[in-house]
Amino acid sequence: MYRWGGCSKLAELTYIGTSPPRPDGPAKASGLSQYADDVAVAGLWFGETVRSPVAHGRLRSVGWRRAAPPGAVLVTAADLPGPNGVQLIDDGWPILAEGTVEHVGQAVALVAAPSRRAAVLAAAEVEVDIEELPPVFDLSEARRQPSLYELELGLGDPEAVLDQAETVVEGEYRTGHQEHIYIECQGMTARWHPSGPRVEVSGSMQCPYYVHKSMVHAFGLPEEAVRVRADAIGGGFGGKEDYPSLIAIHAALLARAVERPVRIVYDRQQDIIGTTKRHPATMRYRSAVDAEGRLLALDVLVELDGGAFTTLSKVVLSRALLHAAGPYRCPEVRVRGRVLRTHTAPNGAFRGFGAPQVAFGIERHMDAIGRRLGIDPLTLRQRNALVPGDRLPTGQIVDESTSALACLESVARRTDFVTRWTEYQAAQTETNGTPQRGLGLSLYFHGAGFTGNGERRMNSPASARLTPEGRIAVLSAMTDMGQGAVIVFRQIAGEAAGVTFDDLEFPEPDTNEVPNSGPTVASRTTMIVGQLVARAVREVSAQVADWWGEQQPAASPYTVKDGRVVGQDGRSTPFAAVARSYLEVHDALEVTVRHQPAPGPVFDETTYQGPAYPTYAWGADIAEVEVDPDTLAVRPLRMAVAAEVGRAIHPRLCIGQIEGGTLQAVGWGLLEEIKLDQGRYLNDRLATYIIPTAMDAPDLDVELLEAAFPDGPFGAKGIGELPMDGGAPAVVAAIENATGLVVDEIPATPERLFAAQMRERSDD
Amino acid sequence: MIRLPPFAYRRPTDLADAAAMLAGEGPETRLVAGGTDLWPNLKRRHQQASTVISLMGIQGLAGVEETEDGGLRIGATTPLSTVADHPVVRWRYPGLSRAIDSISSPPLRNMGTIGGNLCVDTRCTYYNQSEEWRRSINYCMKAAGEICWVAPSSPRCWAHSASDSAPMLAALEAEVELVSTRGSRRIPLPQMYQDDGIEYLAKQPDEILTTIYLPATSDAAHCRSSFWKLRRRGSIDFAVMSTATTLWLDGHGRVERAAIYLGAVASFPKPADKAVERLIGEIPTPELLDQVSELARRKATPMDNTDFQAQWRKAVAGKYIRAALREALGMDPELLAPKHQAGGTPTS
Repeated sequence: MYRWGGCSKLAELTYIGTSPPRPDGPAKASGLSQYADDVAVAGLWFGETVRSPVAHGRLRSVGWRRAAPPGAVLVTAADLPGPNGVQLIDDGWPILAEGTVEHVGQAVALVAAPSRRAAVLAAAEVEVDIEELPPVFDLSEARRQPSLYELELGLGDPEAVLDQAETVVEGEYRTGHQEHIYIECQGMTARWHPSGPRVEVSGSMQCPYYVHKSMVHAFGLPEEAVRVRADAIGGGFGGKEDYPSLIAIHAALLARAVERPVRIVYDRQQDIIGTTKRHPATMRYRSAVDAEGRLLALDVLVELDGGAFTTLSKVVLSRALLHAAGPYRCPEVRVRGRVLRTHTAPNGAFRGFGAPQVAFGIERHMDAIGRRLGIDPLTLRQRNALVPGDRLPTGQIVDESTSALACLESVARRTDFVTRWTEYQAAQTETNGTPQRGLGLSLYFHGAGFTGNGERRMNSPASARLTPEGRIAVLSAMTDMGQGAVIVFRQIAGEAAGVTFDDLEFPEPDTNEVPNSGPTVASRTTMIVGQLVARAVREVSAQVADWWGEQQPAASPYTVKDGRVVGQDGRSTPFAAVARSYLEVHDALEVTVRHQPAPGPVFDETTYQGPAYPTYAWGADIAEVEVDPDTLAVRPLRMAVAAEVGRAIHPRLCIGQIEGGTLQAVGWGLLEEIKLDQGRYLNDRLATYIIPTAMDAPDLDVELLEAAFPDGPFGAKGIGELPMDGGAPAVVAAIENATGLVVDEIPATPERLFAAQMRERSDD
Repeated sequence: MIRLPPFAYRRPTDLADAAAMLAGEGPETRLVAGGTDLWPNLKRRHQQASTVISLMGIQGLAGVEETEDGGLRIGATTPLSTVADHPVVRWRYPGLSRAIDSISSPPLRNMGTIGGNLCVDTRCTYYNQSEEWRRSINYCMKAAGEICWVAPSSPRCWAHSASDSAPMLAALEAEVELVSTRGSRRIPLPQMYQDDGIEYLAKQPDEILTTIYLPATSDAAHCRSSFWKLRRRGSIDFAVMSTATTLWLDGHGRVERAAIYLGAVASFPKPADKAVERLIGEIPTPELLDQVSELARRKATPMDNTDFQAQWRKAVAGKYIRAALREALGMDPELLAPKHQAGGTPTS
């Protein structure tokens, strides 16, 4: 059951707030969509990756074991035409191992052959000689090595307050790896043009221009010599933000060597061992509170396991620190963080980007404060929740759309939270063998758009132009990985220009066709680029209407509505016809607009003070679970979710995003665990890396709340990542409410609960 | 991208031809029915095959029918979903439907067969890994090596039985028919297994499992049966322990005969004999069932070779055995079921 809280369609809007079918829906549902491995390419060869079998070692040699298999080609780091690093934050992620190997599964060499079978057999013929070196897996050991990155931010002097405070609460909270498990594994096809140094890659990716930039960097080519196209994308969740650059370079290296198109598609096992994951985190919280549980000071240390290389760890850490104090008011805050290096696959972008980890930390810590002071979770959060005008640790003043209290009210009302939470708590000791029930609450927020000055720096463009048929073509580099940009952009453009969906065209993301409107990440597509789309099409539509008014001054000014250009006399002409007339006397009409940050203070990246995000989306979850008192197996029964999204452009998809993200968070909190033995994955397939299915999902009751963000399209905020933040702490709190077992580490597996029970019994 | 290795594929239409082919080919000949176990095993190079003989073309090898003596005859190549959904099975042998419903996912139950599930390969953390993984730690003895990584000083392989239908069919006193060029023989199902992770099947290599027979005395009119399966994910997951129970009561409610089999704790469906002995002649009370569960639990000595820590599996095994016994007797199983199985009884 869904409820639309204040989500009703405003009378003057045609498309915003409705849920039309997505244009790619039938093809996706019927299997007609062409994903990376479906696209037919004449003369295609296939690539395979030879990987390190050990976590750390000196790479002595790579080569064919015997004679090269007929037709097969081998590429190693010695064959690289340019720098051996994927162009990202520090360019330190090797394209192919050179000198050393740093994690199991690291790409050491590539082979290509005319068939998949021949490629697999050829890869088995490659001998990798490695002298093993002692690896680092453990964070306590990693702490003794240099960090990959360190950051710090804060407000006031928390240490002084903590020294004086009557009540100081301390806790350590830990979260584990998470694998994205997008439906479609990673894949890329590359081909070089015979006529010159020009290369084209296509495949499964979130960010065509990231791939473009890394290709330009790796091959030393001019920008116009590289063309990148996104095929239909079977899910991303951040996993196709950084990694596709590496596969694109790999495929292009092989294609260059064999002078034919080459495709690399990972199977699930290769995908799990090779690609990036969510950073495991250890978080230490120390807070001073008054007798009512109000935060007086907060000191936080966040440590992320970066894996062997940086990829995007610096920005993940940055986002983690900026969310570490949670959606709470606290006058004195210090947040420090570092990314530690271990000999495991590099961790990278994953929906939430550091925020889900610290949301688990702060929410468990709030529960620890409540436990200490005997205050229920709702009351404690209501006392501390940010309200408009409050200050974040960065000094940013939160805006009028700050909705923490409204979210709490929504979930508490629907679950009768305090009454039932108190009853369940009282029933903890009645273990007569039947399942125990519990409720858990989480409150969270998520900064939408790039962190800090990312948007300002990127200054992203999007364009709109008239086509010869009289339609408006909307040009952006945004990809649809399932989240629904493909229909949401149509709604925004249709609404802003006053035209119908038939008057609009959306060329596929292709770096030859569309401008670099930035990556499809960071909950920025609808809010940041959607606003650019609205501005660009509105400008095109207005110019056409104005020109028509000049031709027909009697009924001027004209407006565009429902796909028609309407005069003051009420008579109208189809927009397409007017647009074609316009093009008869003009060469073209194309408008490019760029992101304009709102006026006001600018984020300072050296002091970490100022508005780190243009706005925040808000959420609260209440999870209800059943726990078997003997086996400690947990069954999530239902969840009430409140999400304040600014404006739901497409409520159905918006709820879909929130349901999917919530389940992904519950899986991370209860089930999903990457098990490593000497750096090797013990569960590198879907039979053993367990994610929840629809049958395991709790019933989800989502309420959308709307508090418009004036700089977003029609008030919309970015919400792609928000629902990943609250599920894990809510279910773990519910387990505590059911059993009294305090678990500060996820996944909260039965074994971990069992260990907590053993500890508790030995303490008694 | 993993691919099948090359092999000769034969698809006889006649059982005698199939037996002759199996006898005539070399030792690297494998039988296949639904293929849900063999094909992935071949792809991952867990098993090798020079020849694969499909049983799916043989007439009369699939189907469920009641026999003249009131029992049930199930052809080995009957898809799992067909067996579980058969009205007679649901009505008369509900424990079997429950056990089969817990196997993998609907698509795999539509492809996989009952005979295939009874012969399904044993599993182990150190075996069910990719070729590169197994090579990188040096192969274990089940995969061409010489050591057991679960118990390095062990002379044997400890891979565990992964069949969910086997413990239930054993507890229902099923028999199986095995056919070879030497003739056919019918044996109690437990005799088809032995306690070795590599050579887990006691049937001869040239024998084909053709039929499963369920006696009339094992149906719901004569006895009570139940099946519980421990797994991490309620919807789709291999068992890390399962328990199948059948109880035959006399007119006074005393246990005349009983069977308790444990799955996934040994290389074969493991009977809990002492627990069964304790039940015979008794009127089952909750207290007695607690004692019996404890006796049966001692038989469950899981190795650290599957999901979940062995210590936890050992600690909760008794609860699963108890749940099956209690549920068979119409008591609340007092065990949290997977979400979609909530309140599930063997007949639901």
